[in-house]
Amino acid sequence: MTAAALSKPDRRPIDIRPGRSLGNLELEELWQYRELLYFLILRELKIRYRQAAIGAAWALIQPIMAVAIFSVVFGHFAKMPSGGVPYPIFAFTAVLPWMYFAEAVRRGSTGLVSDSDLIRKIYFPRLLVPLAMVAAPLVDFAAGFVVLLAILFFYQVDITIYILLLPLFLLVALSLSLSVALWLGPLSVRFRDVMHVLPFVIQVWMYASPIAYPMAIVPERWRLLYSLNPMVGVIEGFRWVLLRDGHPDFRAIAISCVIISACLAGGLVYFKKMERSFADVI
Amino acid sequence: MRTSSDPAGSIAIEARGLGKKYRLQGRGRRHDTVRDILASAVGAALRGVREPRRPAESFWALKDVSFQIRHGENVGVLGLNGAGKSTLLKVLSRVTSPTTGQARIHGRLGSLLEVGTGFHGELTGRENIFLYGAILGMKKSETERKFDEIVAFAELEEFIDMPVKRYSSGMYVRLAFAVAAHLEPDILLLDEVLSVGDLPFQRKCMDFARNLQKRRATIVLVSHNMFSIKSMCDRVIYLRGGRVQFDGPTEKGVELYEADCRLSAVPWASHEAADWPIAITDVMVMDEAHAPRAIFDHGERMRVRVDYATTRPVDAPNFVISIVRSDGVACCCYSTELDGIVVASSSGRGAIELLTPPLALISEHYRIEILVREKGFQKLICAQGGGSFHVRHPMLDTHFGVFHEPGAWELEDGRRPATLRTIAMGAGS
Repeated sequence: MTAAALSKPDRRPIDIRPGRSLGNLELEELWQYRELLYFLILRELKIRYRQAAIGAAWALIQPIMAVAIFSVVFGHFAKMPSGGVPYPIFAFTAVLPWMYFAEAVRRGSTGLVSDSDLIRKIYFPRLLVPLAMVAAPLVDFAAGFVVLLAILFFYQVDITIYILLLPLFLLVALSLSLSVALWLGPLSVRFRDVMHVLPFVIQVWMYASPIAYPMAIVPERWRLLYSLNPMVGVIEGFRWVLLRDGHPDFRAIAISCVIISACLAGGLVYFKKMERSFADVI
Repeated sequence: MRTSSDPAGSIAIEARGLGKKYRLQGRGRRHDTVRDILASAVGAALRGVREPRRPAESFWALKDVSFQIRHGENVGVLGLNGAGKSTLLKVLSRVTSPTTGQARIHGRLGSLLEVGTGFHGELTGRENIFLYGAILGMKKSETERKFDEIVAFAELEEFIDMPVKRYSSGMYVRLAFAVAAHLEPDILLLDEVLSVGDLPFQRKCMDFARNLQKRRATIVLVSHNMFSIKSMCDRVIYLRGGRVQFDGPTEKGVELYEADCRLSAVPWASHEAADWPIAITDVMVMDEAHAPRAIFDHGERMRVRVDYATTRPVDAPNFVISIVRSDGVACCCYSTELDGIVVASSSGRGAIELLTPPLALISEHYRIEILVREKGFQKLICAQGGGSFHVRHPMLDTHFGVFHEPGAWELEDGRRPATLRTIAMGAGS
């Protein structure tokens, strides 16, 4: 029969059933759609600063403004200690990974809802949405990083080989934001409250991270509890590799990695379980 | 699932006992925000009793739907609003998962459930082609290869680098269909998309669908447009209340559908049908001599008798009899209000009859919609289907427009031209 020749022999039939076995993450299919991930990231980048008069310059201005405000309020008025380096550098090394993280969490958690039209009408692996949303702010991070290097150069801080460890800490931040997005994304499909609560969560999380202040001012007995916040390890790590300021608490980082891995694995299963009803409830 | 007695691999879609249950919105124990949950929990705590667990109100949008579709078959899915057509396509395209049953699809699946979702307004046509292509499952290299073809098909060469938010709705539709069409699917699911866009583009889409047919591709088409169903599909699956009511030749299926459409609320107004104070109980299409007829020659007059019943008195109702061509074009309407007829406030049962002027409509299939409005053209209080009829003419078809009537001509010097030949009224008789 000629019809048989039409469907390519390598194409497996698509099975449609009510439920899926837990733990089937369909990573193979995710791989088939990898180019869509690229286009979704590209879309995010293109629309972000389109029809803004100064366009992508915002990616640079935002961290600079944040650092300027911190420098005035915390560095100048509050005379916050900054571990022997000029306060602006001290703040910038933390603001950069923090802004990436906050943006990744925000977009990763709300991405499903903002793409609700797509989800209602077209099938594609839903995991690509949080993945793309978490990946896209990396480009803003890269732009900000160039500014940071310029500032380091200006303050005559030497760049050392340690900088090669930076991607590791960035990876921790990415995994963390993805794991948050995997939990909050499906939740926000069901409860839009997530979108209203999120800004507060991010704000509280920011004050619970050593961005405007050094970790040294956190009382010793709270230190371990404090460093269970994985962003503490990330920010301390950034300062360590860029400024050689202090040394990271590897025990805390190890604990963070375990926590993140658990959240990530749980998030994946949760996301896959919930995604079947996205189109019905979104 | 067993690949039931299909050694040659000729089955494209096989569905067995598909069912989809939805919970009703706004009723039952459905909470949309955490506040609702807290409120009901607190409320229950204050009253000191647990709310009795009511079973969530739900309905089956699809129930026990089974069928097999072979490669190369074009199948139309018909049904009134809420019959489950769109749900079926959503399940088959994997947008939503079924509650019961299963389906297996052999081949590359393309679906177009709504035109233009996936486009981003800020992106240009070019950027959207790649994005949308990827969403539909096309490889970048494939999109690159077909790019020029897609743009040419959509007729958007000059606008391809313009953000699509500045596109007209027609341009938008053309671009979306062009991308989906070039996916070269083995199986294409289309939901009511052929009925958008202007007529030339609709023709183009039909031609394209016929080309797919030549490649032995399979098309599953949901449409309210009997013209596209009849011209594309040899087979029809007719859904009623989520179940397969009929599965077979198109003629028979369309008949069933049209019989159900008669006196049922028209699709665009059916959501408010529950509040209407007046209901059309019968519609008769007759010739001048009151004999029931379904086929009229161009130029004949038609009688439409409408029987109605009211549930409460209706003040000065305006009866409108609207004539809609099979491709969805509203051709003309007759209104008691416009014609200066005052229908006194009516209650209980009644009937009203229209005698049209000689039909100037071109040769086509038409359906009748009966609308009733309260006091002039205010509030719609009824909109029901009222059967269908054909108009016959040996020459006049859609190329001539919606209707034809003879014009009076004069030459430049003021003389009347000699008449060569007139298109005889009722030439088909």
